[in-house]
Amino acid sequence: MAQRYDAVIVGGGHNGLTCAAYLARAGWSVLLLERRHVLGGATVTEEVFPGFKFSVASYVVSLLRPQIIRELELPRHGLEVLPVNGTLTPLGDDYLWRTDDHGRTVRELRRWSKRDAEAYEEYALLMAEMARFVQPLLDDGPPRLAGLDPRGLLDLAGLARRFAALPEPQQTAFIQLLTMSSADFVSQWFETEPLRATIAASGIIGTFLGVRSPGSAYVLLHHYMGEVDGEYRAWGLPRGGTGAVSGAIAAAAREAGAELRVESPVARITTRDGRATGVVLESGQEIEAGAVLSSADVRTTLLGLLEPGTLLAEDEVAVRRYKFRGSSGKVNFALGGLPEFSCLPAGTTEHYRGMVSISPSVEYLERAYDDAVEGRFSAEPYIDIGFPSAIDPSVAPPGKHVMACFVQYAPYELADGTWDDHREAFGDTVQRTIARHAPNLDSLVLHRQVLTPLDIERTFGLSEGNIFQGELLLEQLFSNRPLPGSGYRTPVADLWICGSSAHPGGAISGAPGRNAALELLGSRRAVGRAERVA
Amino acid sequence: MTGGGSRYDAIVVGGGHNGLVCAAYLALDGLRTVVLERRREVGGMAATHELLPGVRVPALAHTLGRLRPSIVRDLHLREHGLALVQPEVRAWAPQPDGRSLTLWGDAERTAAHLADSGLVSAADARAYADNDGRLRALGSAIAVLMSRPPPDITHAGLGDALDGLRAGLAARARARSEPGGLLRVTPMSVADLLAEWFASDALRAVVAARALQYTSWEPRNPGTAALLLTDTAGNDGGMAGQTVYARGGPGALGQALESAARALGAEVRTGAEVVAVRRSGEAVCGVALASGEEVDAPVVVSGLDPRQTLLRLLEPEVLGPRLGWRAGNIRQRGATGKVNLALGALPAFRGLDGNGTDPRLRGRIVIAPTTTYVEQAARAGKYDRLADAPVLEATIPSLVDPGLVDTRRRRRKAAHVVSVIVQPAPYELRDAGWDAQRQTLGHGVLRTLDAYAPGIAELVEEMQVITPLDIESEWGATEGHALHAEAGLDQWFAWRPLHGYGRYRLPLEGLYLCGSGAHPGGGVTGGPGQLAAREVLADWARRRDRSHA
Repeated sequence: MAQRYDAVIVGGGHNGLTCAAYLARAGWSVLLLERRHVLGGATVTEEVFPGFKFSVASYVVSLLRPQIIRELELPRHGLEVLPVNGTLTPLGDDYLWRTDDHGRTVRELRRWSKRDAEAYEEYALLMAEMARFVQPLLDDGPPRLAGLDPRGLLDLAGLARRFAALPEPQQTAFIQLLTMSSADFVSQWFETEPLRATIAASGIIGTFLGVRSPGSAYVLLHHYMGEVDGEYRAWGLPRGGTGAVSGAIAAAAREAGAELRVESPVARITTRDGRATGVVLESGQEIEAGAVLSSADVRTTLLGLLEPGTLLAEDEVAVRRYKFRGSSGKVNFALGGLPEFSCLPAGTTEHYRGMVSISPSVEYLERAYDDAVEGRFSAEPYIDIGFPSAIDPSVAPPGKHVMACFVQYAPYELADGTWDDHREAFGDTVQRTIARHAPNLDSLVLHRQVLTPLDIERTFGLSEGNIFQGELLLEQLFSNRPLPGSGYRTPVADLWICGSSAHPGGAISGAPGRNAALELLGSRRAVGRAERVA
Repeated sequence: MTGGGSRYDAIVVGGGHNGLVCAAYLALDGLRTVVLERRREVGGMAATHELLPGVRVPALAHTLGRLRPSIVRDLHLREHGLALVQPEVRAWAPQPDGRSLTLWGDAERTAAHLADSGLVSAADARAYADNDGRLRALGSAIAVLMSRPPPDITHAGLGDALDGLRAGLAARARARSEPGGLLRVTPMSVADLLAEWFASDALRAVVAARALQYTSWEPRNPGTAALLLTDTAGNDGGMAGQTVYARGGPGALGQALESAARALGAEVRTGAEVVAVRRSGEAVCGVALASGEEVDAPVVVSGLDPRQTLLRLLEPEVLGPRLGWRAGNIRQRGATGKVNLALGALPAFRGLDGNGTDPRLRGRIVIAPTTTYVEQAARAGKYDRLADAPVLEATIPSLVDPGLVDTRRRRRKAAHVVSVIVQPAPYELRDAGWDAQRQTLGHGVLRTLDAYAPGIAELVEEMQVITPLDIESEWGATEGHALHAEAGLDQWFAWRPLHGYGRYRLPLEGLYLCGSGAHPGGGVTGGPGQLAAREVLADWARRRDRSHA
């Protein structure tokens, strides 16, 4: 006799855990199944080398939805976020340095361009307004604009009304953010190349686009969304690494009664008459469920875990069209000390509490993209560098340090060879690129962990190593994410998507997990009402 | 009301094809209209040059496939001498290895040809007709939006909302068969859209090149699918695109439009350069000419590009700092050049018998063998350089219109003219200026063509190279952009050229935009001129009613 639950959740990433917590709090019996030995998916801290705790994949938080923090009481469950302050762009013997100290940043910008220093405030306010404008889109399901769903008209009217209420500058910016390249968008305000490049770089993260590719401005906006809510005005690092986020959500889920199992890989999602009925584990164990929610990406879920032939041909085509195209890698260093950036006076330490961005110019970033288009990792990559141990000493042995590097581009598809052939060359390129700005780096390196898109796919089950479970391209956002008109549902009844493949997409936001849970609960209440009426 | 004391009700600045279309429609409705053109002849970029005595060639645009049929009808352009010639072949794409793809007007015929081209998989050949239908359906959906003035989305009233909704629903209904509809397809890259339809890269490349013409985009840039749809909207080209010649060259369109406008009572003055729009308070009252002459009218419609219209013809205080800043940010970096050739004989293309009887030479000859080729050419332009291997669209109009080469008056032995649109040709060059690289562009075109038509260089009797700088100085388009403003989703539909000014009205009462910088955008369509006239006349009627009330 198979065990039975109200809901089975496939995958213990932060979205799966969030979904589990919300369903359990609603009184459902919930079982979450994680393939790996740890929970958290890509939101995980692992002691890869003795004493060094790496936030192996995702490395900063800011997009985590504030209502999730509130509703799941994550601080009580041990979540503490330490601020990450500022971004340093090293430029040979000069630099561009922005911090949370506004006056100081403006003084620094004035050093480059009076005009840019004046525009900076206006730009920051505008982006905050834009983020505020899109908030409602994050916390509900996507607007039903696809297909012929009549409710789509209401959603559309609602959007139009809110849009029409904006002043012209914000209307214009919103249209541009949906349609422009991040470099073109930013260049309207700023003339300083490293400033243009460092801001525009947020527009390429996790997506196979260049800073000059239209659509990158939306990805830029995506990275501003977290920066407006009272809780976190800036990027932050969870004490203990990003794994602490999933740890706190897991604790909330357990407290609510959810059962969380690790090392329980799901082999198959079972269906009967086009409805999902449960899962079969690789161990052979069968589990029945009223609903199956998958936080694995849409391709893994619908093509990997379903019996072939379960989907209609046209649905299968739609799934295959959904684009992943992993474009980034991660290199984590265990260091004997902190590298000294030659552009700063010796003894400067403040920048270690912020990020260091290798993004000297728009052309530098665009050429990095050209390499990826040709099927090579960037000879001179964009690198976003953090020093978690400088902010949170608990992640490294005393006196030692962790340096986390997000790197783009590292295309999943290589023109020749496989990532197994190029892994270390990629790591060397990243180390060399940073060493150009911090010459003593090589002498400090104790260990190095290189994650290529292939490793990200193998380790975390993210198709093609895409960190957002699908590119943040306008054609697969909102009502078209992951499939036209699907929202959190799938062509298979009672099978739901609750991961980053679903609206509003990737990063540590928890929104897909929460939204999917709320929509499922809402739909069951509706059914309940209907049955009571009948 | 009328123009009161002044001789004219409306002044149209610039006698390009859109200006003339607009003027003709205004005159048709009884407005006393004058067109003021800086140059010696009208027609703008739809022009015919005399390359050698008695040897004529399309100066810039060489096909008129997207000209709106309603304009030809309404203005009786055929009676005014416009004769359009449409060969059965639409595009011919030779490959370096001597094989080639032919896209005929008839999709079934194309599919049959593709099947034995050796370049395209059997599956692609089978799917061609279906996908042609898909593209037509999507094109017709876009056409719904392109054939009417965009709704006012700034502070949409109920009327605009309903209007927009009607258009949106009509468009959505036509695109119903496409999963996700226009919302999914328009933001896509043309490379990704074509990859969903075809496995053959040669086929993808020739279609993609059409979408990117006159722009700086790379085939993988999101939003370029919308350009393919736009190019397909409002004509029956489908996947193959349109290929239509005007007998006597594209200039014949300008002449027919001028004749139509005059017949309807409009005046057309050439050699009259407008240097300023004059106003009284918040309303226009006329224009000032370079000669110092002033012409009065309560309505001024500009066929110039939006940046010039706003920044050169208006005083800064009219715009204010914000609009001035926005106008300065309109993206219109020219990306395209033109090379016109007079040849002593028809070039012998590999894989054809070359004697001129081969019908495939009558279409657009597209040199874009692979998507990577197109990508790498665009990439050179991205860094302000010429490409070693540029993307070409060549036509041999003298094959369909022998009259272009006057056998009696011709000196030297010019027998045919070849018109070549070449990309990239960036407005600003990094290494050396255009003076130094003008010939580099021309010889690059000859070198490229020589790989497909060996010996073509020896046939050249005369070569004319037109750079973006020439387009700027000769035709007045800022930064030499043939479309007046870059085509792309950020300068599209209700926000072309700028959000808040997508309905042809500019920030002075009585001032309008009717050129390619306005919706539905560039190309020889007449659309902006036609739709602008519609808005001018709507306001005119309103004002007349008010003044009669």
